[in-house]
Amino acid sequence: MASDQTPKFSVSDFIAALNQSLEYSFGTVEIEGEVASFKVNQGKWVFFDLKDATGSVNCFMSLFQLRVPIEDGMKVVVRATPKVTAWGKFSLTIQSIRPSGEGSLRKSFELLKAKLEKEGLFAPERKRSLPEIPDHIAVISSTSAAGYADFVKILNDRWGGLKVDVAHVQVQGESAPEQIIRAIAHFNEQEILPEVLVIIRGGGSADDLAAFNDEPLVRAIAASRIPTLVGVGHEVDVSLADMVADVRAATPSNAAQIIVPDRKEVIGMLGQLMRRILVRTEGIVDDYLRETNATLRQGLGVLDARVDLLQSQLVTSRQVMAAYDPRAVLSRGYAIIRGEVAKDSTITIEQQKRIITAEVKDVKSI
Amino acid sequence: MSNQSEQKTVSQKMDELSELVAWFEGDEFELERALETYSKAEKLAAEIEQDLTGLKNEVTVLKEKFDA
Repeated sequence: MASDQTPKFSVSDFIAALNQSLEYSFGTVEIEGEVASFKVNQGKWVFFDLKDATGSVNCFMSLFQLRVPIEDGMKVVVRATPKVTAWGKFSLTIQSIRPSGEGSLRKSFELLKAKLEKEGLFAPERKRSLPEIPDHIAVISSTSAAGYADFVKILNDRWGGLKVDVAHVQVQGESAPEQIIRAIAHFNEQEILPEVLVIIRGGGSADDLAAFNDEPLVRAIAASRIPTLVGVGHEVDVSLADMVADVRAATPSNAAQIIVPDRKEVIGMLGQLMRRILVRTEGIVDDYLRETNATLRQGLGVLDARVDLLQSQLVTSRQVMAAYDPRAVLSRGYAIIRGEVAKDSTITIEQQKRIITAEVKDVKSI
Repeated sequence: MSNQSEQKTVSQKMDELSELVAWFEGDEFELERALETYSKAEKLAAEIEQDLTGLKNEVTVLKEKFDA
């Protein structure tokens, strides 16, 4: 028989009191188990059982909270609030769910990859190229992570004069995807957009890197107006964020190598460029000189021919003149007679070497 | 160099130098302008080298919080 001390409730009050006790005792809990009887109702509500070898508990959540594909048999960790429903049924109201263990992570990865691939999110034709040398970039990372330090060090070693805006976010754990999504939105809302959006995180376990396989995050990267460069984990790690990015870097250090050229190489290239234009100019000057010399030679040839012709004409003229020279006639024994040829007149007779004055004795016609 | 040139970024200067080199290698080349253009390119190359050696990246961690 119940004593007077025994609490009495209405059914609703009892359920409310029970929920209050549960909330006081547990609040929010994380539970690991295997998914069974997974189903989505009305495209809005998700129901499944979370079980282990000896126990099972009902779970409920809204579809929009489901950020990664889940199916029966997958091992998961749920973050949930235990509750008793108005119908007296105990269940966990799930706040978040994530695959646990390598097998489940892989399974979830493959399921989401297939879904996004079907939508064309990884298609090569969607990829945009990055500017050759950007002036302004945005970086999303944890500033306390080793990967970020590597990125900045290599960036500074390779290049200068770059404006780098950094959004510090969590890069692992439950809140990481949402923080990264907010940072992506922040940079995409800027009046003057950065030229490249770099998302980086150093190496870690599959669980650590799971944030980069979050569906809303992958979609946010795909929707970015700013071309994206994602470098997550080590070279062997492949995330869906990598796959959807415009350019994938193997590591954060590699991201820095992709984004800017090495200043030493560029300085070497400047020297090569200057040598190239010098050689080109010298070549053109040589061509001009050759052409000028050829023209000059041609001109000189014409001039020579003209001189030869004039010389030859001169020789002919000289020969003609020589033939008419009276001294040549005198040298052959002839004489030139000057004066009036009449009886008793005086005349002069010019021979080659003498001039004779004579008196005309008689003049007869022949 | 002019103040305008000093305000240009390294990548803008690189683009300008590429254009000058393209002029030397293109059909618009004129010997009469070559010396002037070469001097311009040489000056620009020296400026870029100086920028690359001396300029530091300006890294700013945003004050905005993204956790809520």
